Amino acid sequence: MNFPGYGAPAAGGYPGGFPGQQQDPLYGYFTAVAGQDGQISAEELQTCLSQANFSGGYRPFNIETCRLMISMLDRDMSCSMGFNEFKELWAVLSGWKQHFMSIDRDMSGTVDPQEMSQAVSSMGYRLSPQAMNCIIKRYSSNGKISFDDYVACCVKLRSLTDVFRKRDQAQQGVATFQYDDFIQCTMSI
Amino acid sequence: MAYHTQYRPPHYNSAPPDQGFLWNIFQRVDKDRSGAISDTELQQALSNGTWTPFNPVTVRSIISMFDRENKGGVNFNEFAGVWKYITDWQNIFRTYDRDNSGFIDKNELRQALTGFGYRLSDQFYNTLIEKFDRQKRSQVAFDDFIQCCIVLQRLTDVFRRYDTDQDGWIQVSYEQYLSMVFNVV
Repeated sequence: MNFPGYGAPAAGGYPGGFPGQQQDPLYGYFTAVAGQDGQISAEELQTCLSQANFSGGYRPFNIETCRLMISMLDRDMSCSMGFNEFKELWAVLSGWKQHFMSIDRDMSGTVDPQEMSQAVSSMGYRLSPQAMNCIIKRYSSNGKISFDDYVACCVKLRSLTDVFRKRDQAQQGVATFQYDDFIQCTMSI
Repeated sequence: MAYHTQYRPPHYNSAPPDQGFLWNIFQRVDKDRSGAISDTELQQALSNGTWTPFNPVTVRSIISMFDRENKGGVNFNEFAGVWKYITDWQNIFRTYDRDNSGFIDKNELRQALTGFGYRLSDQFYNTLIEKFDRQKRSQVAFDDFIQCCIVLQRLTDVFRRYDTDQDGWIQVSYEQYLSMVFNVV
């Protein structure tokens, strides 16, 4: 089974050909907030993305969304993110942002549930109408989904897909969970 | 094992509270005298010991647990349940806040959840604190402690629904998994 959710590669990603990490513009943003340990927390990530003006015309990410982003890539369960993970996050976020912008044609900063549903499907998720409704209800305020909510939703979908995948040994779209493991892996996203 | 016991906050009060006593409280909390206590009114009446507002997500969870008519608030009859629920949680919190700091730290949290029957790794307690501690003190305040336990309970409930033979294992499709957990975590 093909698992969705990795999004299109960022078409506008940072240019290649930089001779060293030090000259990567992302590295500049990262080191401006990271401490000696070269890791950033959710708060620092929020600052970093604001300073890099990632959200552009959209409102900056709220702290809970940043926490979700950290845990999406937090393989060592340290609740923090290193530079390589940050680069990976940037690429994934850029893809999602482009996608959002392509739906939000009037640049209002929000999309409606129908557009959201199409966006989720076009990322490759095959969900029943009920499952889709669950997800959309969770993320809409006043019937609209903001950029921040959209990203939070994408992050969660991807994290849950990763959790599921690891327990679907035969890659048949069916996973087995033991109770203690279920609690821990699901709460960790 | 939490999974096999019907976990609810243990019953600490042997006698139900006096109706007059409850009515006094209800009237004070129902500021606009609408006859029902709203999320906002309940939030204002509760304290988490930090001088910051009580976790609104927890307030919503509590109201919706006792609001039988989906009206977005609790009337006097339903409020008796709310009062008992919160009082029970206060007793539990005090029991496990062994150093009386007003917060539950990682060790105290581990003792509490182990006491409730959960079997969780040491590293996972770090994750729980990070996820639920809104005060950013690496400890959980009263409201965040309740929220953590509510989420654990909800996940347990949803797992149990799928574990038809009650052996602690489930097999689910990708879609089922997403629907099960998306709104809980």
